[in-house]
Amino acid sequence: MKYELVAGLETHIELSTKTKIFCQCTTEFGGEPNTHCCPICMGMPGTLPKLNKKVVEYAVKAGLATNCKIRNISKMDRKNYVYPDLPKAYQISQFDMPLCYEGFIKLSSGRNININRIHIEEDAGKLVHERGDTYIDYNRGGVPLIEIVTEPDFRSIDEAVEYIEKLRLIMKYICVSDVKMQEGSLRCDVNISVREKGEEKLGTRTEIKNMNSLNFIAKAMEYEFNRHVDIIESGGKIEQETRRYDSDLNITESMRGKEDADDYRYFRDPDLVTISVSEEEIRKLKNELPQLPDEKLAVFVNEYGLPKDDAELLIKYKKIAEYYEEASKDSTNKKLASNYILSQIFRRLTTDSEKEECRISIPPEYLGQLIALIENKKITSSMASNTLEQMLDSGKPASEFLSEKDMQGIDEPQLREICIRAVNENAEAVKSYLEGKEKALKSIIGYIMKETKGKADAKLAAEIIMEVIKK
Amino acid sequence: MSRIKYIQNLLETKQISCVELTGKYLSSIEKQNPVLNAYVNVTGDEALKTAKIVDEKISLGQKLMPLEGIPMSLKDNISTKNIETTCCSKILRGYYPIFDATVWEILKKQNSVLLGKTNMDEFAMGSSCETSCFGVTLNPVNTECVAGGSSGGAAASVAGNMAVFGLGSDTGGSIRQPAAFCGLVGFKPTYGTVSRYGVVAYASSLDQVGPITDSVEDASIIYDTLSVYDSKDSTSSGSKISTHDKLNKSIKGLKIGVAKEFFEGIREDIKKSIEDAINIYEELGAEIIHFEMPKLKTVLPVYFIISCAEASSNLGRFDGIRYGYKTNSYKDINEMICKTRSEGFGREVKRRIMLGTYVLSSGYYDAYYKKAQNLRGSIILDFKKIFEKCDVILTPSTPVTAYKKGEALKDPIETYMMDICTVPVNIAGLPAISIPCGFDSDKMPIGMQIIGNSFEDYKVLNAAYQYEVQAKRDISPSMSPLPGDRR
Amino acid sequence: MISKEEVLKIAKLAKLSVEDDEIDKLTLDMSSIIEYADAIASAEDEIVEFEKINSIANAFNEDIVLESYERDEILRNREGGENGYFVIRKSLRG
Repeated sequence: MKYELVAGLETHIELSTKTKIFCQCTTEFGGEPNTHCCPICMGMPGTLPKLNKKVVEYAVKAGLATNCKIRNISKMDRKNYVYPDLPKAYQISQFDMPLCYEGFIKLSSGRNININRIHIEEDAGKLVHERGDTYIDYNRGGVPLIEIVTEPDFRSIDEAVEYIEKLRLIMKYICVSDVKMQEGSLRCDVNISVREKGEEKLGTRTEIKNMNSLNFIAKAMEYEFNRHVDIIESGGKIEQETRRYDSDLNITESMRGKEDADDYRYFRDPDLVTISVSEEEIRKLKNELPQLPDEKLAVFVNEYGLPKDDAELLIKYKKIAEYYEEASKDSTNKKLASNYILSQIFRRLTTDSEKEECRISIPPEYLGQLIALIENKKITSSMASNTLEQMLDSGKPASEFLSEKDMQGIDEPQLREICIRAVNENAEAVKSYLEGKEKALKSIIGYIMKETKGKADAKLAAEIIMEVIKK
Repeated sequence: MSRIKYIQNLLETKQISCVELTGKYLSSIEKQNPVLNAYVNVTGDEALKTAKIVDEKISLGQKLMPLEGIPMSLKDNISTKNIETTCCSKILRGYYPIFDATVWEILKKQNSVLLGKTNMDEFAMGSSCETSCFGVTLNPVNTECVAGGSSGGAAASVAGNMAVFGLGSDTGGSIRQPAAFCGLVGFKPTYGTVSRYGVVAYASSLDQVGPITDSVEDASIIYDTLSVYDSKDSTSSGSKISTHDKLNKSIKGLKIGVAKEFFEGIREDIKKSIEDAINIYEELGAEIIHFEMPKLKTVLPVYFIISCAEASSNLGRFDGIRYGYKTNSYKDINEMICKTRSEGFGREVKRRIMLGTYVLSSGYYDAYYKKAQNLRGSIILDFKKIFEKCDVILTPSTPVTAYKKGEALKDPIETYMMDICTVPVNIAGLPAISIPCGFDSDKMPIGMQIIGNSFEDYKVLNAAYQYEVQAKRDISPSMSPLPGDRR
Repeated sequence: MISKEEVLKIAKLAKLSVEDDEIDKLTLDMSSIIEYADAIASAEDEIVEFEKINSIANAFNEDIVLESYERDEILRNREGGENGYFVIRKSLRG
């Protein structure tokens, strides 16, 4: 490939606070149009905004979870432009003093994607066009957003997709957003340019706005990359402009012909006061952060010995990861719980959202109990599998399905009896062993295991066999 | 003498009922408003309803709250739920707020009797009410002259004995100048002590609501009632220091600052009046301290850069989509918005929006808006230094007395220069009062201004009160105790 | 001096239309005001923080839901809207 893709991402994420950023209307999704509004989020004359404390806390958490520095003193600014979905004709945002700055997210390749800033701002209402008329619902107006802006560090589409997935996962882990792309709580703008490999200077960039599907983002970037290359190869000049992605035609098209680039005339909002976040406050919020996905992954792989692929599948869903941790907390072999979750349990969680919500019919303690039975050799693994199916079907614990007899281990006299029988039934093997073939012992033990359905203590059995043979 | 106390005494001693009292004011309005044009909306039914409630309370022997039963007016930029609020602009004709401004909410809870909404310059931009879509408000002292602006209607309602007090708003002098023109007391509180919630914004970092009355004591009573912390206004601090109980404090030893820069461009007779007032203060034992304020001249460009910038942003929301005027023909949304605004706003408002947009626009922001904010900081620091040496500052309120209707200056710069004494106060967020201190040869009132340090509203009111007592200013000779009564 | 073109550009940003008969006077007025404003260019200043005007910090709401206004009230000034929405017709002939 002669050409290199260079891209930066601006991601808007809706915070999952209960109330809007500058008033106390609910942020609940859906609802009949214009039923989650008040004079403040409607921007009625004379109204004044007041900042929701949780928004600042969530934004700081997002910054801490992405290795950002946090500004102790920041402010809100007005971004002035006219559009029917913006009741005040300005969006209250942050211009030159964003709450968080200079962070990064590490990709699996080891490369860092640097985050330039994270700032807080309000969302606009929603426009619906019908037969040329415009209908406006202001329910969403005032919903709090954080905007996360990266440096132009992406060099491939895969990196962009991985970044978004990692970002989503982090935001879910720290519980600041439900990041449901299909509901619009995470949207991306992509800034993309192309240059010859080895070239240091950046090419002219174009912006593709407002995409809320990973698939579309990847397709749009691919299309745009090729479009840039085509223009360069044919000697043309790339226009710096804003474009939108048409998913039906799989093309991007210019948004020029809409308003000319707006001059936003940013200035500090005089209705809002300074936001001061103390070091103590930052420390407190940092302590409230749960273990982040990458940290958890490292523990699962390095400490618990899970294969990387398995671990990644578990951490992909925060609640599953937590379920696993709870289920395996008393086991020696941490792989057991993981195997059962990823096979039998996942088979029942067919959709992503079922996995997200961890819709498992038994609490993790039950799985933990089942695993304990295996580890204590009370039951065999095939018994465990069957029992698990019954547990998942009914929601009941293992004890409901395993009788005393099933869970009985083999005591010594019983084992002795079986060993004697084994020696008698395996004369050939005994003879081989006496001739010095150590392996033969194993086949006798194997016989015993088969007879006891795996419940025998192999070590003890070996001792008894040798005793018997000696006799 | 406090008209509020006088009236409450009449009510409590049952010498008059609140309904009767309200009736007198409504008659006064009926008689005079067609000429004076102080009110743009008279709320007679609402007023009488409230008056009845007050009478019931009195008949039950209950004590009245400080502003209970007092007939008053509100400037038409103060949101009143279900009562038309227009800011005297075509673009808000027919606009009915669905909520109350906090200051009105407070008065409502006290059963103050709302007589109506008063005239103002459109969106408070002006100093004569000549930009109002309802026409100019005339000065009750001399109906050939204007009442001033932008709270001209509020001032005229009080000076014409059509209200006991009026609430106005002040961004660059809009309470103090009309008060001075009409021979009244006009008080602009420290920024942040009275809630702005519900007051349609002109310049958010400069606007404050305050009373226009005919006595300092009344201004003090009203301020104490309104200066409570409002959680809906992020810039609200309320006032932790009451003023009424400090009015009588002796001002012996009070340090009154006087700067020559405040007297430049002021008419000679006004200067003389202020000098007489200074003498009275000296008689009372105050100490006059001379200081310099070389930066004063820069205050005006700083003021209109900041106020126009904030206004251009605050007025962006008027696009015809959710409330107010909407143009009746357009070919697309953009045209709808442009035409609505161009048809709905008056000339002065449009000009200030343009100026505000310009000084914030890319390429000009640093030279104008940013520079103006920085200068603002210097001015604030200058005032801080002055208040280390002085308790209050004394200046004229206006360079001229009320001018004749139609004679408002055509040159925009000269118009702005009229605010030279009042504007610095808003820039620094300080409290200031205008009180009458004399008359010119045409018997038009002259006002003097007392400025205090932030949150020292009590000092301003105290100094003003002591002057008022000493100068034996009683109820204005032209105003009877109650409208319609013989003097 | 501000040019006519600049005035028209500003008008566009401010969503105001300026009639041909207005533009000259407006340009003149704005020019003289801006010239007057230029006086501050040479004035000495200090970098001001908002704190000097208003020293309040951290005025916050708690994240507690309060009942929103009834839709009828929200749409009160637009005669109840249409199906609960604010509507802008594609175009209108006067």
